[in-house]
Amino acid sequence: MSSTSVYPTPINAFKQSKRSVLSIIVDNEPGILARIVGLFSGRGYNIEALNVTVVDIKNNLSRITIETLGEEKVISQIIAQLEKLVPVHSATNLANLSESYEAEICLVKIEFDNNEQDQKILNFADIYRSRTVQKRQNIVVYEISGTSERINKFLDDLNTIGGIKVELVRSGPIGLGI
Amino acid sequence: MDNENEFTGADILLKALKDQEVDTIFGYPGGAVLPIYDAIFGQNFLKHVLVRQEAGAVHAAEGYARSSGKVGVLLVTSGPGVTNVVTGLTDALMDSIPIVCISGQVPSHLIGTDAFQECDTTGITRPCTKHNYLVKDVSKLSETIHEAFKIASSGRPGPVLIDIPKDVQFAKSKYIPKKDIIFREHRIKAGSKKVDKNFVQELVNHIKKSERPIFYVGGGCLNSGPQASQELIKLVNKTNIPITTTLHGLGCFPGEDKSSLGMLGMHGNYEANLAMNKCDLMINVGARFDDRVTGRLDAFSPDSVKFHIDIDQSSINKNVKVDFHTNTDITMTLKEINSFIESNNIELEKKDYTNWWGLINDWRKKECLHYEQGEDIIKPQHAISRLYDLTTQKDTFITTEVGQHQMWAAQYYKFSKPNRWITSGGLGTMGFGMPAAVGAQMANPNSLVIDIAGEASFLMNIQEIATAVQYKLPIKIFILNNEYMGMVRQWQELLHGSRYSESYVDALPDFKKLAESFNAVGVRAKNISELDDAINEMVSIDRPVIADIWVDKKENCFPMIPSGAAHHEMLLSKYDKENPENQEKGKVLV
Repeated sequence: MSSTSVYPTPINAFKQSKRSVLSIIVDNEPGILARIVGLFSGRGYNIEALNVTVVDIKNNLSRITIETLGEEKVISQIIAQLEKLVPVHSATNLANLSESYEAEICLVKIEFDNNEQDQKILNFADIYRSRTVQKRQNIVVYEISGTSERINKFLDDLNTIGGIKVELVRSGPIGLGI
Repeated sequence: MDNENEFTGADILLKALKDQEVDTIFGYPGGAVLPIYDAIFGQNFLKHVLVRQEAGAVHAAEGYARSSGKVGVLLVTSGPGVTNVVTGLTDALMDSIPIVCISGQVPSHLIGTDAFQECDTTGITRPCTKHNYLVKDVSKLSETIHEAFKIASSGRPGPVLIDIPKDVQFAKSKYIPKKDIIFREHRIKAGSKKVDKNFVQELVNHIKKSERPIFYVGGGCLNSGPQASQELIKLVNKTNIPITTTLHGLGCFPGEDKSSLGMLGMHGNYEANLAMNKCDLMINVGARFDDRVTGRLDAFSPDSVKFHIDIDQSSINKNVKVDFHTNTDITMTLKEINSFIESNNIELEKKDYTNWWGLINDWRKKECLHYEQGEDIIKPQHAISRLYDLTTQKDTFITTEVGQHQMWAAQYYKFSKPNRWITSGGLGTMGFGMPAAVGAQMANPNSLVIDIAGEASFLMNIQEIATAVQYKLPIKIFILNNEYMGMVRQWQELLHGSRYSESYVDALPDFKKLAESFNAVGVRAKNISELDDAINEMVSIDRPVIADIWVDKKENCFPMIPSGAAHHEMLLSKYDKENPENQEKGKVLV
């Protein structure tokens, strides 16, 4: 992997420990996010990505999705610790479900100098079916969604183009079991 | 408009405490709890115990809870009032003690302005409580308090904190009694209500097959209630399986019984640790495979099939992988095991494990708790043995501080009933024992309550002597005075070339005079000939007593599994030498 990547992947970490996406249903009350984040930092677990939004207004429930790295034993312990928190209804490792779907959204702003760069960017954007949000003379904003892996690849490909400036924001993965 | 069905937040709190059958509260007043103190002034169901520092309140609440089986309650003010209880809350969380802490907070409109005595109480206490609340709306107060008590005492018990801003204490609302509250199950986490029959069947099958089984029993058995201990005794008697307990499990099974191998772990008995190492079936009843118990993990009980009963799912497979587990209440599970054996007429009596007991009895011959008492200087082990002999006929509760004296107390004082042994295990809080004794004495006014202490720990919460004197609590502080932080000195001797860096406690007070200045009583034993008299005098006086027992300054606590060593690599005396490779590895551990 090139050292200029905007999204370096910690290859060694991935090799030793598995990536897991945890889906947590909680009572939407003050301090719940702090409880969960505090549990991770206090017990030395990693948070690679985190997403939280109210999903059920009537029952006042939020869904928190956390991407984390760890051996299977560690992930089981994280789940058990999460389920001990009073406002937590359930914590699920999506990887343990027979069927689950994942998506992430990314907005990427690209500044370029010349036509050649523009063509290459357009080409990649087309391959990855990203949606143009805004295009100015030497600036373009795309929206791309899909699995995190797909977004990683798109960003890797963009980085093969020399001399462009990339700024981006990612939602982190969200997922749902069936 | 005043509605007579409406009450102030402070009155709602008192109504809820009454509803929860709370009759004792430990606390210290301050600006942000004055409305609550005003409500306390005008009532008579609740006895308030004024401590001398908030740390005393929280440890007293712990001592009260442990010795009574009820929830301990304390009341502190905002800012420093609540930051002073952080250690005690963490202690209660580690040792699964049900307490509810009520703290005052600055008025709602001042929160976030760095007001006088403001701190982020829920933020600071979040990682050291089972749950906490900031109550911003007085109409939610009744429900919050009742839920707090329910959470503190359900499943694996623990501390819960309720932070109440001063304006909420004045604001009015209806009171909702406990019986009208519908608890939401996912928040209470009481564990499964059904026994896992497969687990029970597998366990009984394994008991039948096994040659070298052992029970390994922890504080969970205590928290499940006194009935758990009864079921355990029944099961052990029926199966003739040896039993070892953790520090917190002491008392769940009679310490003098022939099936008891005593405590296991770092300073546990030789026979207990060897039996754990060599067993082929381990039945863990409410213990959590703590590092003080397991020693080096890769050599922990290598040949056993492991069963684990624990109400806390996160304790299962955390440190040690087990083969079978059940996430259910211990009383319920043991009862089912007993009735399964009875109803299926399973003949276990014939299986008396002769070879296994033979091995164990050989290990017992090592007499790992042997010590040589000379004719002059008191050996600390002997002081505890005499204390046990001279108080065992009485209705006694023992609390401890933390260090060598605590381990000697665990080794030489034998407990026959649960809830009689109150010590800080998980967190290891020096200064715990004396305020805990205050709490235990409040819960058991007619019993003998003794804090087995070291002089260094005792100095950490010494102010609470005044509390004991004020409320005429005849607690006994039994100090094994060696002028050192003994356990620190022992580790320095074993691991740091006897360089006793800062572990000598210079400029100690005269504990006898100190007792007198507090209007308590001081007694002293300087040598062996004075020991029994000092103990008898201490026990006979119906007032708080500080007994200053001068013991051998260089005595170490054995047996010992050094950090990083395995169960079978115990040191039995100072003449045993540690494997140097283990020593280097152990140095970096705690």
